[in-house]
Amino acid sequence: MIQRNVKISNKLGLHARPAAEFVEKANTFKSRISVEKDGKKVNAKSIIEILTLGAKYGCSIKITAEGEDEAEAVEALAKLLS
Amino acid sequence: MVGILLVSHSSKIAQGTLELVEQMTKGKVRIDIAAGTADNRLGTDAGMIKQKIEKIHSGDGVLVLVDLGSAVMSTELAIEKLDESLRSTTLIADAPFVEGAVVAALEASFGKSLEEVKKLTEDVKKYSKLG
Amino acid sequence: MVNSRELIQILTEINKKLAENKEYLTQLDSAIGDADHGINMSKGFKAVVDRISQMQDKDCGSILKTTGMTLVSTVGGASGPLYGTAFMRAGQVVGSKTELNFDDFVSLLEAALEGIKLRGKAQKGEKTIVDSLEPAVEAIKEHKKQGEAIALKRAVEAAKEGMEYTKKIIARKGRASYLGERSLGHQDPGATSCYLMLKTMVDWITENKGL
Repeated sequence: MIQRNVKISNKLGLHARPAAEFVEKANTFKSRISVEKDGKKVNAKSIIEILTLGAKYGCSIKITAEGEDEAEAVEALAKLLS
Repeated sequence: MVGILLVSHSSKIAQGTLELVEQMTKGKVRIDIAAGTADNRLGTDAGMIKQKIEKIHSGDGVLVLVDLGSAVMSTELAIEKLDESLRSTTLIADAPFVEGAVVAALEASFGKSLEEVKKLTEDVKKYSKLG
Repeated sequence: MVNSRELIQILTEINKKLAENKEYLTQLDSAIGDADHGINMSKGFKAVVDRISQMQDKDCGSILKTTGMTLVSTVGGASGPLYGTAFMRAGQVVGSKTELNFDDFVSLLEAALEGIKLRGKAQKGEKTIVDSLEPAVEAIKEHKKQGEAIALKRAVEAAKEGMEYTKKIIARKGRASYLGERSLGHQDPGATSCYLMLKTMVDWITENKGL
């Protein structure tokens, strides 16, 4: 299992297009991936869960991946948000 | 890839929702609309719905989003009139129109199956808009 | 009782009656619906008449099915799929017959009712078309042994009673159901257009067939 804290640098936050890109990327990995914000944990592969997370620009979220490609997953997703 | 059909009484609602969705899916998904009557009144037309389902069906199925009441009846009637092969792979999502369309189109773009896309779309009802 | 050419005449007469009652139906629909029933039914049947006017040499089933398909695509509101299904099912039951007798008429009404109940998922008592159509079908079957003329008359009376009864009940289906108790006291537009159609059919048969 790999975890990483990431600060959202995208002005839009994790909404609309960036959210779609994030979820799309997450779905390319085999690992189970979750995103946590203020104690609320959601499935990174579900668009509705990511949209309801309400992650705004500048806030910090924790990405957790567990599975054979967990390292690449966290790396790729963190990169998308920076 | 699952196709998405937006069925609404209003072509303005359908067009607007389509625009919103395509902003996110950028042409990756086959999405179309069947809204209003042929003479541009508010309403739904089962004949038009059937034609559109046939147009966007790729073999992976079609998920239909509907707005109010008779959109469901018109869609059910349209599905009954489809060829056997298309009929069993065309489903209606019991979900709010706009939010459902967004989720359906995105999940379809991730290559998920018809049943998965339907379930995820219907899960929208569980989430609070106001967080 | 009625052949293809006459069936077309009946449907043409229905178009006329619905056009005459356009405002009335719309008014009923403004109270408890989206104020378009009269307009929608009128547009639908005008298109039907355009479509079927040249079908004199076709069988009754085709005429009825074409009526149904036309309504489905031109009415717009709930009456489209509902009446559309009704006429299409009636057409299926009647098939390639070019002449309909009384029993055929009863069968097609039964099929129409079944179609509407299935499509609309409605029962009697929910303030819909079913509230005038079901009593009509029950009456025509019940009074069949008293002769065609009486059975038809009773059917129309039952439809009228059913239509008026809708004022006393709360809507459970369609746009009106959102109004709940506020739908009380208002007559259902669908039950009304159904009664008008039945009355027109029976009046035509009575006047033109010497019943």
